[in-house]
Amino acid sequence: MDVMPAIRVVDLRKNFGALEVLKGVSFDVHTGSVVSMIGASGSGKSTLLRCINFLETPSSGDIFIDGEPMGFRSDASGQRRLRPLSEVNLMRRELGMVFQQFNLWPHMTVLGNVIEAPIRVRGMSRKQAVALGEECLARVHLSEKAREYPARLSGGQQQRVAIARALAIQPKAMLFDEPTSSLDPELTDEVLSVMRELAGDGTTMIVVTHEMAFAREVSDRVLFLHNGLIEEEGPPEQVLGAPKSERCRQFLSKYLH
Amino acid sequence: MSNWERLVWNQQGVLLQGLGVTVEVCLIAFAVAITGGLTLCLIRTYFPPLRFAAIVLIEFFRATPIFVQLVWIAYVWPELFGWPNSFFTAGWLALGLQSSGYLAETFRAGIEGVARGHREAGYSVGMSPLLVFQRIVMPQAVLTVSPSIVNQFTVIVKSSTLISVITVQDLMFQAMKLVNVWYEPIEILTVTAGIYIVMVFLVSTAGKMLADLLRRRYGLAAA
Amino acid sequence: MSDAFWQSVDLSTFWEYRQVLLAGLWFNVYVFACSATVALAVGLAAALLRVNRSWPFRWIGTVHVELFRNAPDYIMVVWVHFVLPLLLGALIGRRLEIHPFVSAVIALGFVYSGYFAETFRAGIQAIPVGHVEAARACGMADRLILRRIILPQVVRRMLPEAVNQFVSLFKATTIVSLIAVPDLMYQVSMVIATEMRPLPLYTGAALTYFAVIYFVATGVRLLSERWRNKIYA
Repeated sequence: MDVMPAIRVVDLRKNFGALEVLKGVSFDVHTGSVVSMIGASGSGKSTLLRCINFLETPSSGDIFIDGEPMGFRSDASGQRRLRPLSEVNLMRRELGMVFQQFNLWPHMTVLGNVIEAPIRVRGMSRKQAVALGEECLARVHLSEKAREYPARLSGGQQQRVAIARALAIQPKAMLFDEPTSSLDPELTDEVLSVMRELAGDGTTMIVVTHEMAFAREVSDRVLFLHNGLIEEEGPPEQVLGAPKSERCRQFLSKYLH
Repeated sequence: MSNWERLVWNQQGVLLQGLGVTVEVCLIAFAVAITGGLTLCLIRTYFPPLRFAAIVLIEFFRATPIFVQLVWIAYVWPELFGWPNSFFTAGWLALGLQSSGYLAETFRAGIEGVARGHREAGYSVGMSPLLVFQRIVMPQAVLTVSPSIVNQFTVIVKSSTLISVITVQDLMFQAMKLVNVWYEPIEILTVTAGIYIVMVFLVSTAGKMLADLLRRRYGLAAA
Repeated sequence: MSDAFWQSVDLSTFWEYRQVLLAGLWFNVYVFACSATVALAVGLAAALLRVNRSWPFRWIGTVHVELFRNAPDYIMVVWVHFVLPLLLGALIGRRLEIHPFVSAVIALGFVYSGYFAETFRAGIQAIPVGHVEAARACGMADRLILRRIILPQVVRRMLPEAVNQFVSLFKATTIVSLIAVPDLMYQVSMVIATEMRPLPLYTGAALTYFAVIYFVATGVRLLSERWRNKIYA
């Protein structure tokens, strides 16, 4: 048997009422690797990412973090049961999430945002948490903004703080949900370069993105989603360079030209 | 014969009479509030010489408790100004004046809420300032503030219970009189409270529906 | 007429009784502080019911809000004062007396809980759902999210509206004199009964209330604006 993947997704399905958004998606993300997910809007890639973190409860299928089932577990009789929220919360700490809309908490300073979870969730002392928080802010090159409120920061800076906040829970993997989609073009680079550094440090990452050049440069694997299914997957040179699927080719032609 | 029948049903004559007085006072007060509020607002916005006086009146009406104003107008004004000459008049006057202070501010918000571009568009096609006010500013302001005006009416109805204290024979007065006759307050007070709550509920629901309608038809948010 | 005018602006009688009147004003403040506490606590509970996922809770919250928001405060004070002791007394099977102060606090507290519930609810619903999701993604539990992420923002958002409601509540405390809670209005009518000089005393009361409410409210509004602006710059 090969090495345990950091994240394993098995036959994941999700429907909102009659609408089936994910129709059975399976893939592995190995420790230290970067997986990019591309696809048109409505293809299900954001929902997939949110299901992995249980911000949406999957309709069926399994997610394993380091071999541990994420939202479900089997009871004594082998029945599959939804874990209580407290356990889901425990598991969520293993995954850092970065949102399209940053979602910084406006009533806390930059450092306050970063150390909130380490103190309240991990139970760290304030001193430890501040040390950790400053380290995380240094990784996104924002040490000097620690005492500011988020409203005073540019969009790119806010998104970097959001990355620091996710890093501060010391996750096993980072999930990025279109982290640059709500940024002006001139601000995307500072966020992408921080993400590039993280990838270089060996961080396990899943990135939903429309930045094809970034996906090609950083990813180990690229998944192309279409209508709730993985239409094509493989190394970036293949999926982005010479896609086998006609749909993938069509999708890419809109981005590369 | 149940208590409800004896204490409430058989007293419906007096209670309805009281309800009639309540409705009458509230409607007069509402008219006073709208007229007074509009006047104060226009003076404050467009007539600088009396601007300060208008502000003082608005703030005084808004910051003084209605009960205190009511008693003050009922007992002090007749000595001071020789008017109002009845408690009935004092009742609607106090209710109307307090609400006129609130409505003046509501109207102002409505007028200021009209986008500058709309006014400029009016001037650019050669409309006079008066015409712009009449045809462009006022209609929009009235639309946006109308839910708040309805809401102010509910305030009047709620405050109107206090005029019973100065012996105006409204619903509250009749209810308290019955309580003092029988010393059995449970049924009569519960029913009276119920009547007021239903009345206010109906008015405020109408206000909400009006606000919804405006939002749907004109895309206006209530001021 | 000018005689009456000078009489009503001659506040020396009012000043003479300043101690007992000031004690009355403090009663307004007590009633206000206690009923504001009740209103905030009950209002928050009702707001949480109204944003609950299951409909029976939402329904209870809605009934609470509609009932108390639409009730005139005077009749609620009278109802709690006269009816509630009888009902509770029947329930426990003996005569029950409720102090007028307590009746006043219960009545005003519940009436204003209806208004505060709506303000809380609007504040809660105005918070972007992403802020909650970000907290969930950090592994924060719902209670912690409510306490650390939602409420601090709600408080800031609802402040201007809440200040208005506090002002209304303080003004409403003047009616407790009608059930013999010895507030300023009550003391004023007592003094009038002995001095027989309603003009200066009622005028003095009106001016006192106006001054207290106007200046305190303006001050609080200024302070809260400054505090909010730090975050929503």
